[in-house]
Amino acid sequence: MTFIETTTTALLTLAIYSFLAGDNPFYKFAEHLLVGLTIGYTLVVTLKSVIWPQAILPVTQGQFQAIGPLLLGGLILLRPFRRWAGWSRISLALVVGGGAGVAIPAMLKARVLDQMAATVTGATTWGGWIILIGVLATLTYFVFTRAHRGAWGTSARLGRYFMMVFFGATFAYTVMSRVALLIGRLEFLMGDWLGLLRT
Amino acid sequence: MRDRLAIITASVAGVFMTVQYFLTAPAANTAYRTILSWMQVVFAFALVVGVIGVLRLNIERLGKRRSGWFYSAALVAGVAAMTILGFVGGTDRGTPFQWVFDHWQAPMQSTVFSLLAFYVASAAYRGFRARSGESTVLVIAALIVLLGRVPVGEWLSPVLPRTADWILNVPALAAKRAILIGVGLGMIATSLKVIAGLERTYLGGR
Amino acid sequence: MGTPRRWIFALVGLAAVAALVLKPGLPASVTQDTRSVYDLIESLDSGAVVMISFDHEASSLPEVGPLGAAIVDHCFRRGIGIIGLALFSEGTAAGYELLGRRASVFGRSYGSGWIYLGFRPQYTSAILGMGENIGDVFNLDYEGHAVTATALGSRVHSYNDIALVVSVADGSMPTYWVEYAQARYQVKIVAALTSVMVTSYLPYYESKQLAGIVAGLRGAAEYEQLLGHPAAGCRGMDAQSAIHALIAILIIAGNVQGWRIRRSRGHGEA
Repeated sequence: MTFIETTTTALLTLAIYSFLAGDNPFYKFAEHLLVGLTIGYTLVVTLKSVIWPQAILPVTQGQFQAIGPLLLGGLILLRPFRRWAGWSRISLALVVGGGAGVAIPAMLKARVLDQMAATVTGATTWGGWIILIGVLATLTYFVFTRAHRGAWGTSARLGRYFMMVFFGATFAYTVMSRVALLIGRLEFLMGDWLGLLRT
Repeated sequence: MRDRLAIITASVAGVFMTVQYFLTAPAANTAYRTILSWMQVVFAFALVVGVIGVLRLNIERLGKRRSGWFYSAALVAGVAAMTILGFVGGTDRGTPFQWVFDHWQAPMQSTVFSLLAFYVASAAYRGFRARSGESTVLVIAALIVLLGRVPVGEWLSPVLPRTADWILNVPALAAKRAILIGVGLGMIATSLKVIAGLERTYLGGR
Repeated sequence: MGTPRRWIFALVGLAAVAALVLKPGLPASVTQDTRSVYDLIESLDSGAVVMISFDHEASSLPEVGPLGAAIVDHCFRRGIGIIGLALFSEGTAAGYELLGRRASVFGRSYGSGWIYLGFRPQYTSAILGMGENIGDVFNLDYEGHAVTATALGSRVHSYNDIALVVSVADGSMPTYWVEYAQARYQVKIVAALTSVMVTSYLPYYESKQLAGIVAGLRGAAEYEQLLGHPAAGCRGMDAQSAIHALIAILIIAGNVQGWRIRRSRGHGEA
């Protein structure tokens, strides 16, 4: 990259970082420009990579079975118009209904049965037993139709402790993630732009 | 009438897509693949509608010179620039479209999210307090994993990374697994309600 | 009186800058999780094909970029073919640029060494559709060629021809790869994640629904060590250590401050 190219990137980066000093016109400008670029990018990629090759090109090549999805997609475009928006619901219903249909066996297997199996079959070590107890305790916490009293309440409280460990670990990893982004940006500003870092 | 048609479409599609998981007949497989490809195209058009919605709002603000119109101009200019660059110059490597993505869009996106590193540090000092048994457990787990997963933790003590590993692979895993199972059961229930026509929020509040 | 927020911001910036400039060079050991992913790719035949799905936003690039690059380098170094795609729109350009850049370093040509299918927004139908026939989901690749007209595309029809799927992700996408691709078609899935998602996927890894997990800048640093080629991941570890240590000190200091305030209130009431 030339110095002018890196400088434009650096100025936009610094405009975003100016938010640390408080909301200001430079930040707002950069933020709106970013949203605009993202929207334009999404439009190009969707039209070129999806709608053209999957919906329009097949019809122009005489594959008339492709007219169906093209028409349904066209119905979606009626959504912003109040008078005809109702027709777009049919297209949305196909996506929502079809998605719900494939989700049932997939989630039952992958999220419920396989996870339950791993919990039970893993209870052969101390760690496995703690996992089994933790899963059961946390599940009792989420049953809100039964009062958390007595043995059930003790189990729910234990579940809360397991969740606190999870939240603490997740917080630490969240810090790790955001810090990695900061490091990337600082490396660019100090290294690529200002040339202050030895490689 | 249109809503009824939509509900019937969702139900028929939902029942078929659930049942086809167990079917081996070629006709069922063909219908399954057809519905999958139709879903893809419809969803892509829905993305375009979302884009048009945002554009309309900002063009209106720009046209009527409402408060913040200058920023709407920046937004609209961004959309126009990427669209023109993408369709005229192409999207291959080395094109202006790819350049703007690599040198403006992606860096700005990551800069916005990197701001959180500062706010999370501030929150760590001001809000991360061990006031009860549960919050003490949370703080201790966070401290151990925070240090145990980076080189400075290994340098301080080899116990830190081993303890962090245990925390992640045993108690934290147990809690997340329970949440996964619970959410999975909830999503199965919601999917059944969509197929049965009881869940209609996708129709837009009707 | 609390410490002004901007002092904390300044400390964070200073810690990062100091670590980047001074480079103390604390060593980072390679964890078993990262080694497992490395060994898995190392065990593949050189003619195998790996599918890499760039399921992340542009914002995550400083974190998943080095990780994705390390895995791509490993595949290219071993002569493994790569089929790239994206289930997030921003991952499309990011993945395309990454693959093109690394392919030219290793002399892998488009069409035979790698191809890029492009973007599909409806992930459920894309993941399930590729299990039946990749050509149903992608008739043209991102550059506009017929997928089946490329050397690599002509020999890969579904997951049966794919040795491994790597989802480079910053969100829920690996969950859908597991639920739809692994559960139904038994294809091996590796998740290359941002750090924030690790705790969400360990249950899938422990149950062997995921064949491997590698995460964040730390994961990239470890992978780069295994490849013998330190890069962005290794460079960032010192700054990561410095800021983590600072935040740990802030947490402890904040709790000490809070305890002192509660104690003085208790004495005041007495």
